[in-house]
Amino acid sequence: MDFHHLSLPGIGTKYELETDDGDIISVVYMQNGKVQMYTCSGARTGCSSAELTAMEARRLGNVLTGAIIEAEQEGVEIAFSALADLRISVHTYIIGKSLSGKSIGEMDIRSKTGVTVLAVSREGENTVNPRPSFIFEAGDAVVVIGEADQIKRFEKDILG
Amino acid sequence: MHGIALALAAGFTVAYLARRWRFPAIPFYIVIGIVLGVTGFNVIHESETAAYLAHMGLLFLLFTMGLHLRPRDVLARKGSFVRAGAVDLLVNFAIGLGAAFLLGLPVYEAVVIAAAFFISSSAMALSSLIDNRKLGFRESETVVWLMVFEDIVLVVFIMFLAVTQESPVRVITATLVFIALCYGLVHLLKDPIGRLLAREDEIPLLFVVTAVLLSAYLSTLAGVPDSLTVIALGSALSLVSQDAPAAIARPFREVFMVLFFVFFGVSVHFAGALSPVLLLGLGALALLSKLCSGILIGRLVHKSSLSGVEIWSDTAARGEFSIALAAIYGSAMVSSTVAALVVITAFAGGFTGMHSARIRGRLRAMTRKRDGKEVR
Repeated sequence: MDFHHLSLPGIGTKYELETDDGDIISVVYMQNGKVQMYTCSGARTGCSSAELTAMEARRLGNVLTGAIIEAEQEGVEIAFSALADLRISVHTYIIGKSLSGKSIGEMDIRSKTGVTVLAVSREGENTVNPRPSFIFEAGDAVVVIGEADQIKRFEKDILG
Repeated sequence: MHGIALALAAGFTVAYLARRWRFPAIPFYIVIGIVLGVTGFNVIHESETAAYLAHMGLLFLLFTMGLHLRPRDVLARKGSFVRAGAVDLLVNFAIGLGAAFLLGLPVYEAVVIAAAFFISSSAMALSSLIDNRKLGFRESETVVWLMVFEDIVLVVFIMFLAVTQESPVRVITATLVFIALCYGLVHLLKDPIGRLLAREDEIPLLFVVTAVLLSAYLSTLAGVPDSLTVIALGSALSLVSQDAPAAIARPFREVFMVLFFVFFGVSVHFAGALSPVLLLGLGALALLSKLCSGILIGRLVHKSSLSGVEIWSDTAARGEFSIALAAIYGSAMVSSTVAALVVITAFAGGFTGMHSARIRGRLRAMTRKRDGKEVR
């Protein structure tokens, strides 16, 4: 497995991985913030490409890292080897119009469902551990943490 | 002011349509300039304000180009970078120079034409690689670094064209002193400049714009071409950061370069220019010269003629730098010739960039049929 990166002046940085089977995977981080990914088969029968936003690239990266997390739609479930009974889910959701203008405290999310809002991403700006006074806007990406049944309650009672 | 507003409105329209068609906008800017200027409907006229804004566009373009000339990256490139660049230079410059001499042009104007033959449009080449999803191809790296090599040679061209107009020793000495000052100052003030560029208020913006315009002003005092000093400034600042200054310069470059291209088209006079047949012939020759150099580079770097065709498909278009040299140093006749050269090669280059896979497929099939075997 050969892995190297190179500078492409005016474009960005290219990372190239040659797998043991001779396939080539290239990832180009561009100056415009987007990411282009190419997979070329070792047989050189052609390349496939995809252009990703920074967030899509991170999601893909999370899936590829696999290891101790099990991907499930927009979330992951984490199991700790020292705490056999504890399985914590971390989920992301996009806030819809119905919750726009409402604060975390006003919806009483933690008391009603048990989940905690870990972070909110709004137009590229992240707010970690938002206060109860934090007011949602449509399009906000929220990260919540809780056990599986608490997450389901959050989806049913809060997101509707 | 109405000319500038009209030029921007027309520029916006063609830029929007070009983006939609995924086609380079530069030839359209020049064409609308020709159509709306003295050669066409005569509704846009040259003015001092327009010339100043267009010049600003050129300064920011060259400054951005300088940012890509980071000494460490360039020096780290080994053999194939110089060999490929040298082939590109020798083939295209020689063919361009020969064509200009055949047309009876004097040496100075022949050099401007030959430089236009040689220098591809970096903007169109890089856009072609990104928009046509070619960054995964092995040839993309060669194309990108060919553009860097051409940028370095452009600096030499500017210096050469400037010294033929003034005292060579004074211009070269003043230029070298200015470049050394830029690098020295940036090296000494590396940390404060880095902190300044990392701020989130208006200070980085003011710093970069002031630095560009101040270096242009100082160069006029020293009698050095401002095109050279802004390139030197960009290259020196790249020691601290490439991304922050590039992000700041980008809006100025994008907007003012539209004015630069449109008003270049406006200024083009075809009275006394070469005949349309000769201009078409010259455009075709420019495409062929890049095909020759592309194939040679493909064989040299990738051991494949088809790789050379791929390189040609992205570098065939001439654009901003050819126009810049013609605008600064060209006569009316040279400007009209270079305008035609850029329009022809940019339209053709737009198509070759988009359809290179098909072109390569056809060539591969033709060669197989002819030779009964596969080409590399």
